[in-house]
Amino acid sequence: MAYEALDFYDIDSLLSDEERMVRDMVRDWVDEKVIPNIEEACRDGVFPDEWRVDLGEMGILGAPLKGYGCPGLSYIAYGLICQELERGDSGVRSFASVQGSLAMYPIWDFGSEEQKNHYLPRMATGEWVGCFGLTEPDYGSNPGDMITRAEDKGDHYLLNGAKMWITNGTIADLAVVWAKLDGVIRGFIVEKGDPGFTAPEMTGKHSLKASVTSELVFQDCRIPKDRILPDVKGLKGPFSCLNNARFGISWGAVGAAQSCFNSAKEYALSRIQFDHPIASFQLVQNKLAWMLREITKAQLLAYHLGQKKDDGTWIPEHISLAKMNNVDIALEIARMARDIHGANGILDEYPVMRHMANLESVKTYEGTHDIHNLILGRHITGIQAFTREFTE
Amino acid sequence: MDVTVIAESSENGLHPVTAQLVGAAVAIGGAPTVLCAGGWGVEDAVSISGVAKVISVVGDCFGSFDGGAWAEALSSASGGDVIIAAATPAGREIAATIAAIRGIPIVQDVTGLAPGISVTRPIYSGKAIESSTVGTPCAITVRANAFDAAGEDGSAEVSTVNQSADVAVAVREAIAKASERLDVAEADIIISGGRGMGDPANFSHLEEIADIIGAAVGASRAAVDTWDEIPHGMQVGQTGKTVTPSLYIAVGISGAIQHLAGMRTSKYIVAINKDPDAPIFGVADYGIVATWEDALPALKAELGKL
Amino acid sequence: MTIAVLLKQVPDTTSKISVSGGRVDESAVSKWSMSPYDEYALESALQLKESGGGDVVAITCGPARAAKMLTDAAAVGADSLLHVLVEDLNALDSTQVQAILAAAVSHCSAQVVFCGKQAADTNAGSTGPGVAHLMGASCVTMVSEVASEGDSFTAMRASSGGDQRVAVSAPCLFAFDKGTTELRRPNVRGIMMAKKKVAETLGASDLGVDTSASSVSVDSHSPPPEKPPGQRFEGVDSVAVVVSKLRDEANVI
Ligand SMILES: Cc1cc2nc3c(=O)[nH]c(=O)nc-3n(C[C@H](O)[C@H](O)[C@H](O)COP(=O)(O)OP(=O)(O)OC[C@H]3O[C@@H](n4cnc5c(N)ncnc54)[C@H](O)[C@@H]3O)c2cc1C
Ligand SMILES: Cc1cc2nc3c(=O)[nH]c(=O)nc-3n(C[C@H](O)[C@H](O)[C@H](O)COP(=O)(O)OP(=O)(O)OC[C@H]3O[C@@H](n4cnc5c(N)ncnc54)[C@H](O)[C@@H]3O)c2cc1C
Repeated sequence: MAYEALDFYDIDSLLSDEERMVRDMVRDWVDEKVIPNIEEACRDGVFPDEWRVDLGEMGILGAPLKGYGCPGLSYIAYGLICQELERGDSGVRSFASVQGSLAMYPIWDFGSEEQKNHYLPRMATGEWVGCFGLTEPDYGSNPGDMITRAEDKGDHYLLNGAKMWITNGTIADLAVVWAKLDGVIRGFIVEKGDPGFTAPEMTGKHSLKASVTSELVFQDCRIPKDRILPDVKGLKGPFSCLNNARFGISWGAVGAAQSCFNSAKEYALSRIQFDHPIASFQLVQNKLAWMLREITKAQLLAYHLGQKKDDGTWIPEHISLAKMNNVDIALEIARMARDIHGANGILDEYPVMRHMANLESVKTYEGTHDIHNLILGRHITGIQAFTREFTE
Repeated sequence: MDVTVIAESSENGLHPVTAQLVGAAVAIGGAPTVLCAGGWGVEDAVSISGVAKVISVVGDCFGSFDGGAWAEALSSASGGDVIIAAATPAGREIAATIAAIRGIPIVQDVTGLAPGISVTRPIYSGKAIESSTVGTPCAITVRANAFDAAGEDGSAEVSTVNQSADVAVAVREAIAKASERLDVAEADIIISGGRGMGDPANFSHLEEIADIIGAAVGASRAAVDTWDEIPHGMQVGQTGKTVTPSLYIAVGISGAIQHLAGMRTSKYIVAINKDPDAPIFGVADYGIVATWEDALPALKAELGKL
Repeated sequence: MTIAVLLKQVPDTTSKISVSGGRVDESAVSKWSMSPYDEYALESALQLKESGGGDVVAITCGPARAAKMLTDAAAVGADSLLHVLVEDLNALDSTQVQAILAAAVSHCSAQVVFCGKQAADTNAGSTGPGVAHLMGASCVTMVSEVASEGDSFTAMRASSGGDQRVAVSAPCLFAFDKGTTELRRPNVRGIMMAKKKVAETLGASDLGVDTSASSVSVDSHSPPPEKPPGQRFEGVDSVAVVVSKLRDEANVI
């Protein structure tokens, strides 16, 4: 049976033809290519290279960027892309988020004309894969204290340090790396094969198994002078990338939640216990009604945020709220759906346990759930609670 | 009512559906004239009960199939109020072209007819039935097996018309039918085997039947998991393919909910299982409690007779 | 060379069809799609264009909602779009639909026409042969592949005895069956280009076709008859009975 998305408040009717067409294109691709193959990809712990090629051919990498081979779609269209990809698997959405929002975006916004012309067209087609190196083994929520350093050696920069938890790292052709130059955070483009640069894959994940996660190691890594992103200094650089990626996650989480809801609904209608479908029991209906309610709210949140992104009236706190809320309810829906499936829920025959495990990562990356609480807390009170010292 | 029936015939003679076309003609009150393209099947057409006359239309154009040319050659003899043909690919094309030549409407794939002329036909792949009224003159194609065949005690007169037309479609090359297996996702009839088949080699019995009725062969997951010879592409069910054929025949399949998930929307379901309590009987339109060892040879023989 | 592709928008084959007040309730159809055989016609037309040059014009006759399908065709590469706006196709008979489409084809000066062997709503299959006749074109049905060969075309078609490769010259019409060709997926670039391809919209009267007097009138739609409850038979002797029921009661063999 064809997938029928939950759209209780008819958000579909708010979309433009173009947005709907892009959404349908990605939806069909996910049905055809991702869902039949995702369990195998997870078992093997790989991101199938064919998916990279297809994403490039569809033209959805760097979707909201304009020029340099990028289409300049609306942020709502970008959100819909994320939603459909994550309905398949958070790993596929992660690939697209990292490529578009975390690697292409900083080059597009902060890069030189030469950098944009050189990298962006090939990244938009998926020919080159990018990754984003901010987190370090010892600095996660607190990237401002990062250790990785760059030194100006006259005719080149020398990088030293390590990044950890880097999506796409091992398969990337280039990494946008944030490192301190004279104590100021700057962005650098490091290419695969640069001397002193390695990207070993991290293994043993119970989550996002179809996504590649790596360390980036810089040991006297030499890069040419023209690889610094000229137009940004400080945490604003990485944070503006994160804003876009988090926006995509707020939509993606809706997709994962829809997948879990669908599976739970179908299962509850077909599973007979005590002579009746379990969907006929009030406790099960209560769970399904809660899912419907939370998904609908999350959709409205994402849609309205998309409008604000498109007309430029957003603030980062808007995005924090949507990322935090939508991932939170998606995770809760995944757990509830798992429960409705009984023992079957732990099998890879159903998508729920996979989404549940994936969403645990999604809850943590791109600003943990609680970091977003602190961002909102600061917005409400004017008092930042990230560190214990009192600052204004 | 002056009715012309376009016989379904070929160098192999008259197709039995022709007697049903005559049955349909009689249903709207006609004693039809039967046209035999290329003169094929005339001998059998004359003995169909109720046929007024048989016209053998002969001409060079019938040497190979060009629906446009055939229609043109047949159209001069296709006068009258109603033209009836079989809803086969060739029948549809010829009837549609004759209708266009005469400038009359056509209703295809009809399953019910009454004087008036009232026609019924399935639409949306059988998800609804449409009843309409058609003025004459008109052309109608009818679905096989929807009408009773007329009897065989007729003795119509035969006349021959020499009529050809320019052939515009030249056959360059005929490519013998490959005996490739149909995919379950595309087939209109599926015969599936389960663990009850006992051994993968026994699937050959299913294949033989599939060949007779143009079916695809499917399998339950237990069969796919147990036997390497049965590929996953054949699996029907929740983790295999979801299918909606007109006819699904389940042999040695218990009918677990995950199997049903993939086939319960089939239009008709036949189950063959030796266990009278097997859940598959709960969804079967026709359940046969028997071992496949007994039932399949009988099924093969019966289907061979059609 | 201009290749005209005739496309019809139909309820997606996975959609539920419900009947209310004696008519199929179109507003309850959850998804409208390009008729599947037409998709193969469109794909093959695009391939022919890519191998030999030319323009693909997508033509539909149907209500306003069908505009979306034309945009979908533009997104995968149709060069221009023609929408003959007819609010209720059910009110027309086959001669009228064919006259409209033949006039539309000639309006586009196309000598080569691709269409599906039948549309997935009525599954009739009258349009291809009828339009071919009206344009004085040769017609090949059950086609899976078309290639150009100088001034003429070769096509693969299915016939009861196996496949045949046939040759025809323009004007000609090919009615497509489902082939083995893989359908192309749209991409963002195509979707954005599609926005710029505005369909030419005409009424039947603009094409000189009179749609007033249909000689077929739909009386009613009804849900399919309920299946009889499941029947159970014991033993091998019942096989003959079941086969006869499949033939006479169920009409499936
Ligand atoms: C699968 C995966 C992929 C990733 N991909 C990338 C990538 O591509 N690039 C990249 O740079 N990073 C990536 N990350 C890293 C991710 O962004 C970090 O994991 C995240 O920022 C949290 O950092 P941490 O894991 O060090 O947790 P910590 O910062 O150590 O946090 C641990 C816990 O402490 C809480 N906490 C921390 N500080 C406070 C505080 N002040 N007040 C209250 N609570 C606090 C947090 O909320 C959390 O619950 C990825 C992570 C994962 C799991
Ligand atoms: C998450 C999940 C997903 C699944 N997905 C699918 C799926 O996609 N498709 C699927 O099919 N299954 C699926 N299954 C498996 C399903 O639960 C059943 O195990 C499976 O369908 C059983 O296959 P079977 O009927 O061939 O075997 P059995 O259940 O072993 O039944 C064999 C039947 O053959 C009959 N039989 C034995 N000998 C003869 C004989 N000589 N003549 C006639 N009848 C005979 C028996 O009476 C019995 O009814 C799934 C299971 C799970 C948990």
